[in-house]
Amino acid sequence: MTAAISCQNVSKTFRIPLDRSTTLKYRATHLRSSSRYHELHALEDVSFEVSQGEFLGIIGHNGSGKSTLLKVLSRIYRPDHGVVAINGKVSPFLELGVGFNPELTARENVYLNGAVLGLTRAELDRRIDGIIAFAELETFADQKLKNYSSGMQVRLAFSVAIQADAQILLMDEVLAVGDARFQEKCFDVFARYKREGKTVVLVTHDISAVNLYCDRVLLIDHGKLHADGGSGEVTALYRRMMGAVSEAEDSAAAVDAGDRWGTREVEITAMRLLDIDGGTHRVFSSGAPLIVEVDYAVHGAIDDFMCSLRVDRSDGLLLASPQATVGRLSMARQSPGTQGTLRYRVDALPLLAASYTLTIALNDQHGGHTYDQIERALSFRVIDERSRHGIFELGGSWVAEACTDSATQTPSAD
Amino acid sequence: MATSVESRIPADAGTENAAEPRRGALRRHANLTRELAFTQFKLKYTGSVLGYVWSLVKPLMLFGILYFVFTKLFHLDRGTPNFVFQLLVAIVLFTFFQDTTSAAMNSIASNGGMIRKAYFPRAVLVVAATLSSLMTFTINMALIALIGGVLGKLALGWDTLLVPLFFVELYALVLGLSLLLSSLFVFYRDLGHIWEILMQLLIYGSAVIYPITLVPEGLRAWVLVNPVAQVIEDVRHALVTPDVASSMQIMGAAYVAPFLIAAAALGLGLYVFNRLTPRFAEYL
Repeated sequence: MTAAISCQNVSKTFRIPLDRSTTLKYRATHLRSSSRYHELHALEDVSFEVSQGEFLGIIGHNGSGKSTLLKVLSRIYRPDHGVVAINGKVSPFLELGVGFNPELTARENVYLNGAVLGLTRAELDRRIDGIIAFAELETFADQKLKNYSSGMQVRLAFSVAIQADAQILLMDEVLAVGDARFQEKCFDVFARYKREGKTVVLVTHDISAVNLYCDRVLLIDHGKLHADGGSGEVTALYRRMMGAVSEAEDSAAAVDAGDRWGTREVEITAMRLLDIDGGTHRVFSSGAPLIVEVDYAVHGAIDDFMCSLRVDRSDGLLLASPQATVGRLSMARQSPGTQGTLRYRVDALPLLAASYTLTIALNDQHGGHTYDQIERALSFRVIDERSRHGIFELGGSWVAEACTDSATQTPSAD
Repeated sequence: MATSVESRIPADAGTENAAEPRRGALRRHANLTRELAFTQFKLKYTGSVLGYVWSLVKPLMLFGILYFVFTKLFHLDRGTPNFVFQLLVAIVLFTFFQDTTSAAMNSIASNGGMIRKAYFPRAVLVVAATLSSLMTFTINMALIALIGGVLGKLALGWDTLLVPLFFVELYALVLGLSLLLSSLFVFYRDLGHIWEILMQLLIYGSAVIYPITLVPEGLRAWVLVNPVAQVIEDVRHALVTPDVASSMQIMGAAYVAPFLIAAAALGLGLYVFNRLTPRFAEYL
């Protein structure tokens, strides 16, 4: 299998002049001192590969070099050392709305932006109505962009950007903009990219987005590749680096932890969301099966415990909280070191499209004492191919009974 | 799925994307250039009541002043047939040269946002800027030809067929200088002022507002080494009146010099632009 992106020993150093000379006079009078600059090692010896169809997240604090890395991949910056090999067509934009001109109408901007994407006028003629409709700007299409709200501009930019027929998409903080509905649309498009086997590299600050979308995450710190692995581990590491998670929780690196507390006589050691075939996922179709697996380890002497899940929508709305008592543990299993797995299975997920979080708690059987509880331990998305509105599928069925005299009772008859 | 070929981008090599077929890439870039050029042309004239007319007012104003000063006050037109049209053609040609190079100089520096956040061949921006000026020039030239034709002030002959050649030569010069200036302007902003001053020198040095016959005979060939002066002289000869000597008649074999200079300007522009391109995104 060929890698979509191969990045080998890439380094990039910026020379930041202490006095930047943009005039010839300065250059002429400061010939000798022109070499005074500060060297910033934005990237140092970074190597990784991205497989075809992979969703890669790049995270790191501000100034860590993650955006520089993306610019090197997109050939906007040329690396000082190292080799970048790209196998496939790369979308030219890193951000939304690049090159938009406020003096042009939405329609004109679509043609201009589309041309940067490599689309011809004829292709855009065919797609323009769809683009405007997707951005929900039909009534404003011939207004100048400067009269648009920022939300409208973002919608338009997004509608155009997804027209790119590229195999590799590089995005810098694309998700940082837009409201909840826009994020939904982003997500649907990402799901489509995934189906189509496109490769996506996403630079972002948004840890939950990374957890949701990305298979793999790179953590960049001070220009170096600090970690490269599954999104759960790497984002947990990043959280610890940022000081968001306390020392005590270090042991649970395999768990991507939100707030966590408890006395730990029983501990959650790992948790997974699975589909029917046992593959781990974060995206599920409405109506498809979903399985939650919680691995636990017993450390203290307890009789039994209760596992409860809580499903919230990402905006905090509580949706469900199934519980199970893991009863009467045998004497043998009470001994510290006992491990087990709890499995919660939903045959047909009734939830409709949105993002959800799962909180997992291990309590004593009365629910009064908390052994281990992880808030928003897992997040997942539900996509709904039928684009239904609402929170969940009620599962009811319709029956229609014909009226006796249709001529007099049909309200639409005149 | 488009066919894709492994592309390696060594640190010291060009950044052309070999991952897509070259011809497809060229077509896309041409398409982008055309789209940008039309947009700029449109933007230049939208939002103003008179729109395109402004692009005529400027050269006409210059023409009016110069016409009055040089024919009514200094009587430079004596012995020069049809000086009015000679002056008009020269001013339109020179305005094209001046406006295009000045506008194109800005085309990289003023598009920093796009350069830092999207990848496409940077030269597209410069070429589009020159093409959008070329559209104005084409319309202006067509208007002159139309008016001149109606008034019977044009003298067409076999030499007229050479006019497109002179336009190509002028465009090559303009494009080369535009590439050179736009890339250097990113790093040296006072180039804008320097170029303005040079333009003032050039309008007097290029025999725009006076006939070449005013220049001492021994110096004429030297003035015409400047491609701008040579193009003006030859277009006057080929379009307005054969009484104006063509550069070939004045310069003899040295006639190739201005053409070589235009070609060299294009070569130098491309070279410098390509050398500086990788630093645009970092510097803007």
